[in-house]
Amino acid sequence: MTCDRLVRLAPLYLMLCAAGAAGIVQGAQDFKRKASILLKEEPKNPKCFAESKKDFVCFWEEDEERAGSVDQYSFTYAYQNEKNSTCPLEVLPSAGGKKLFVCHLNRVQMFVQLDVQVQREGVQIYNRSLLIELLFLLDPPKSVTVSTTGHQGQLNVSWVPPSLKYMDDSMIYEVLYAPADSDFGQVELIQACSEMILRGLEAGTMYQVQVRVNLDGITYDGYWSAWSDPVFTETLPAELDPLVVSLTVIVSFILVLLCLAMLLSHQRFLIKKLWPVIPTPDSKFQGLFTVYGGDFQEWLGQTSGSLWLTSPFILPEECPSPLEVLSEFNLCPPLSSPPLPPKASKALTRVRNEDGVMKKGLLGRESVDGVDSVQTNGWRTPLHDDWLLDRLREFQQHPVPTSQCSLLESQDAYISLTGNKQIEGEHMEDTLEETSPLGVLFASRKTTLSESHSDLGSVQQSSGCGNLSSQSSFEYPNHAWITRDPGYTYMAVADSGVSMDYSPMSRADDIGKVVIYANDYKNDVPPHRRPFLVRQYPVDDDD
Amino acid sequence: MANRRTYWPNHEEPVRGYADTAMEFPRLFALLLLVLEWTRPGLPSPLRPICDLRVLNHFIQEARDAEVAMKSCREGCSLTEAVSVPQTTVNFEDWEKKNAMAQAQEVQTGLWLLQQALGLLRTSMTDAELNGHIDTATRNLHSITAVLRTLNFPEYTPPASTAGLEGTWSASSAAELLQVHLNFLRGKVRLLLLDAQACQQDVS
Repeated sequence: MTCDRLVRLAPLYLMLCAAGAAGIVQGAQDFKRKASILLKEEPKNPKCFAESKKDFVCFWEEDEERAGSVDQYSFTYAYQNEKNSTCPLEVLPSAGGKKLFVCHLNRVQMFVQLDVQVQREGVQIYNRSLLIELLFLLDPPKSVTVSTTGHQGQLNVSWVPPSLKYMDDSMIYEVLYAPADSDFGQVELIQACSEMILRGLEAGTMYQVQVRVNLDGITYDGYWSAWSDPVFTETLPAELDPLVVSLTVIVSFILVLLCLAMLLSHQRFLIKKLWPVIPTPDSKFQGLFTVYGGDFQEWLGQTSGSLWLTSPFILPEECPSPLEVLSEFNLCPPLSSPPLPPKASKALTRVRNEDGVMKKGLLGRESVDGVDSVQTNGWRTPLHDDWLLDRLREFQQHPVPTSQCSLLESQDAYISLTGNKQIEGEHMEDTLEETSPLGVLFASRKTTLSESHSDLGSVQQSSGCGNLSSQSSFEYPNHAWITRDPGYTYMAVADSGVSMDYSPMSRADDIGKVVIYANDYKNDVPPHRRPFLVRQYPVDDDD
Repeated sequence: MANRRTYWPNHEEPVRGYADTAMEFPRLFALLLLVLEWTRPGLPSPLRPICDLRVLNHFIQEARDAEVAMKSCREGCSLTEAVSVPQTTVNFEDWEKKNAMAQAQEVQTGLWLLQQALGLLRTSMTDAELNGHIDTATRNLHSITAVLRTLNFPEYTPPASTAGLEGTWSASSAAELLQVHLNFLRGKVRLLLLDAQACQQDVS
């Protein structure tokens, strides 16, 4: 039974032993660490320190060669007004081939003078008078924690102070902080407080923080403890300070406004430099773009052509020479009583097309007289080629006195190519005719003739010569034609309603030598126009 | 209408009008009332407990200065006779075993003893600088007594015969006296103030 018990308890014993051994080892290590601190700090011997309120340690160091055994030394101490006491010594090996002789005092009295003596073989080697409460060497603070606060460049350090009653408010702490990769750190001192906020740190940097403790020296005093184990923490990454951002925005806005103001003040200069004015020929062509909208041919027609005759810009075409309207001339022979066949039209037309103003004199009226072929054929038969020239020749040679041609004057016959019809005393108005762009009217000859005119026809033609547009007709005095300079070029036009016959332009003395060309109307029927209609209106003379 | 403000271009003596003289008595009466109100004898208001130890720390530093000064004294700084001084030894375990009353009595006895001893030293001291230190120390001891009173410790006056009192030592030199004085302040007095019930209630 006992064996079983022993077997069960053996592991427990082993654990306890191990723990105890570990504790002892740890204690020894702590003591050695403290002893090393004191060996640097305290010049006097023996070196003594208090770890807590209840224990007190004194030690001294000796070289191994010179040191004797423990028995040779004696450590005696005496409080004020008390008797001497002896402290048992221990020997501990130290680094560098040295020995430490250590005395632990169990019963500690503070605020009273303590006299210590060390004797070796009866000879006093060390003597010291001290106050225990002034020789504290505490353990470093435990549980050092470092955390970030909510602000940039700050760290909050907190630790657990050594648990010594009545001494909490006498403790002072030093906090050592440095960037992890730097060798130089800063130290902050704080009293009687176990947490601290580090400010002015770099953002986004890893810092290491250590803390050590000491007593303030008023009531209690001691040595600085060892540094605590370093704690690494990273500060918050850099943020944009709202004040900086807003100031930057305001300053940039002001700069932009200044630039705009400068640009606007030098607007013309800059525009001139960046977008140079492309020279345009407007100044040389007065009215070309403003009045005629760029229509060069029209503009040419309205301005004097002499400027352009020699200009290289002129298209190498024959410039149209203005034509004067020739007065109508009476091709009619002296009137006679025979019935008149349908007469040839006589009209004045003025045709204007887009290219320019051309005046045509359309002559006309043909009296039916002695031209049987014409009479029989009426309007639908093309005239023979020489008919018109013969007429012209005849007229030129035998100018019809005005009285005889008074018929013309009175009759005032015109061809108007618009809906405007002017015909004396004749009402041929028809709404259809009015709306048509071309109404060719043939006036009847107002005579005492009793013939009935056969149809002269009013041919309504579509405006397809869409280029053809009519204007108000006008009247030329008959004699005006006669008095023209023989140098003029003449062209005879005869409009039969189906075709317009032009004689080529020829000089006055050349009439008769050239051939008449007949050009058919080219009628393009615009969709909105009326279809080609041929009507025949009986034309009655008005007496 | 009480004060008539008149412009005096030549900084002449202002002419006192009827209104000024008529207001004199009411002014005096008001002043009298105020004074009586302040000096009205009544129940003493409870003193506010002084729990801040910075006052004591200041006293301790002044006591240390006095001790240091006394160590450098060669002549004219000795006690004519031995004086009783309180024991300054503090064992924390033993101290915590005592109750608050005993602790207070011990401290008050010690303060009284020190005051007596310093008084004696003052009479035999000729050095002016040291006399100043002693006067400061004496004044501080009175202040500490007042502080204890604010902490609701019952006043305790030790018996007149100091000989044979427990917990006393005998000091024969001025240096020893001032050392005891310093240690006493740092030790027992401080512990008593730290542990004072009145201060504990404030904190908790």
